[in-house]
Amino acid sequence: MSTTAADVRSGGSKDIGSADRRFRLEGLGLTLVIIALGIMFTLINPRFASIDNFLNILTQASTYIIVAMGMTFVISKAGIDLSVGSTLAVVTCVFFGFIDGGMPWGLALIIMFALGAFLGAINGLMVAFLAVPALIATLGTMVAYRGIALLHSSGKLYYGLPPEIVWLGQGRLFGIPVPVIMAAIFVAFCWWLFNRTRFGLHCRSVGGNREAARLAGVPVSRIEILVYTFMGVCVTIGGLIWMARIDGAQATLGTAMEIHVIAATIIGGTSLFGGRGTIYGSLAGAILLTMLNNALVIAGVEFFWQLVAIGVIVVIAVTVNNVRENRIVWLDTLRARRKQAQRGARAA
Amino acid sequence: MSMTTEALELHQPLLSVRDIDKSYGGLRAIDGVSLDIEGGEIVALVGDNGAGKSTLIKMICGALRPDGGEIFLRGKAIAFGSPKDATDAGIETVHQSLGLVDTLNVPENVFLGREKTFRVLGLFNQLDLSAMREETRKLLERFGISVPTLNEPVFRLSGGQRQTIAISRLLLSEPSLIIMDEPMAALGVDEGRRVMDLVVNLRDQGIAVLMISHNLEHVFKVADRIAVLKNGRLVGVVATSDASRESVVSMITLGTA
Ligand SMILES: Nc1ncnc2c1ncn2[C@@H]1O[C@H](COP(=O)(O)OP(=O)(O)OP(=O)(O)O)[C@@H](O)[C@H]1O
Ligand SMILES: [Mg+2]
Repeated sequence: MSTTAADVRSGGSKDIGSADRRFRLEGLGLTLVIIALGIMFTLINPRFASIDNFLNILTQASTYIIVAMGMTFVISKAGIDLSVGSTLAVVTCVFFGFIDGGMPWGLALIIMFALGAFLGAINGLMVAFLAVPALIATLGTMVAYRGIALLHSSGKLYYGLPPEIVWLGQGRLFGIPVPVIMAAIFVAFCWWLFNRTRFGLHCRSVGGNREAARLAGVPVSRIEILVYTFMGVCVTIGGLIWMARIDGAQATLGTAMEIHVIAATIIGGTSLFGGRGTIYGSLAGAILLTMLNNALVIAGVEFFWQLVAIGVIVVIAVTVNNVRENRIVWLDTLRARRKQAQRGARAA
Repeated sequence: MSMTTEALELHQPLLSVRDIDKSYGGLRAIDGVSLDIEGGEIVALVGDNGAGKSTLIKMICGALRPDGGEIFLRGKAIAFGSPKDATDAGIETVHQSLGLVDTLNVPENVFLGREKTFRVLGLFNQLDLSAMREETRKLLERFGISVPTLNEPVFRLSGGQRQTIAISRLLLSEPSLIIMDEPMAALGVDEGRRVMDLVVNLRDQGIAVLMISHNLEHVFKVADRIAVLKNGRLVGVVATSDASRESVVSMITLGTA
């Protein structure tokens, strides 16, 4: 081992790191909410609690889970990506276009992934090199990519995938739907990437303090491009599963997906202000939203009311986070005033 | 004091800044500054607020590109494209206030930009969290500061604890030049003394230290030479042993050597 300057002398305080918590139960609250909701839905409608419905929910959630993984990296980097739904439409329609043109599915798949990464990288390049705020850059590509999807497919409804691809969406392995297995593997991979690799750490550092990260030697622009590219790849995997599940695609696929995915990520506890995120939270958030949707459908609630519900949930989730992080100044002032009043009353 | 040309050719200062300039819009933050730093000496950089001290050191450590002039390290011209290039060349820096990422925990901050990793499956690099945590604990022990939590985001820590964490980053490698922008600003008496001990200790190991400070008491206690900046220009460089505090104060305020 090489000796660094640190080895020269030691001694001094012994209590460094002594108060660290061993087990951090982050995301416990959300898990409890999911269980409570599950029990509630079951009481309302016993059909809800069946294994089939459970696997069904996870299968439905798989695309959102996978895209929410990418979104966790993007938001932790203090970015945002509104173009995920449009990107999903482009890659699936282009894939179908190639299949319809007689291209072997393996080659079409490779092109599909390259395209997804490329569309994501365009977002990253705009953010990193043109200093366009992520909200504006991806708002622009959200509209532009949707336009490309519409131009490409000119309103066509695609269907009829090769059986190998359909298996990815509809097949089962040991009784478990393939999309669920793929999502599970991908979540495990993303947890590792986020918490145990340089890439994950650098995303969080750029999101926490861009200038400090740069001064510490983090290649900030490269991370920005990489994180949006990774987002594009996540969308492609999610899109692959989605089109395989329904064996079809059209240019409007994935409309309003961004709000669902961003909602799942924020509900999970990833900070919109950047710097902090949780993979488990995003997974739980995506499952929670799908479960809610599923319950609303079983209960016969209209689709438009479901949209209203999701909007309300997002605002509540952000508010809860803000309360937890003491971001709401007037609430803090109120709390302090009340304490002072109490103390005054006790003194009197 | 005069040197023959031969001696001049033989002798290379560790760091040599030649006629360097930097403007922000119309403001000349640094205006034709030249400064030499030898191995194993402590140079204090002093001057009023806004004199250009931070700007000057940012050009040396690769965070800013000079508009004009040259910087030599051991006689070789350098043009750092990023702070990482400077650390790779053996220049370590603690910045004023911008040192840490608030949302990361202590070891993540200490090792940011040069993480310890190991290989998994012979393919991927995984962060070696326990090694980083262990080394962080060793580093912080040197400063005798109490940091009860290493796993929490550093915004929960006190100003002095944060300052110490930023300084401890310096000791990760074997630098030849250490730059500190007001390292003692947030520290208590005891912690400040330990940092000064550290600075002297580093100098005795042959490492050069360039230290910005507003505290003249500290400066006179540890520095070998004092460089004074005013309005982006170098007023002069004096040896601490030849200088009185009054003369340095008048250099800072009046700009006259
Ligand atoms: N990024 C910037 N953009 C514009 N002007 C800047 C920038 N950074 C510094 N300046 C200006 O350059 C001048 C020198 O600033 P600098 O930070 O180098 O001062 P300093 O000597 O470090 O002061 P202090 O002791 O207060 O830290 C100041 O007038 C400041 O306003
Ligand atoms: Mg300064």
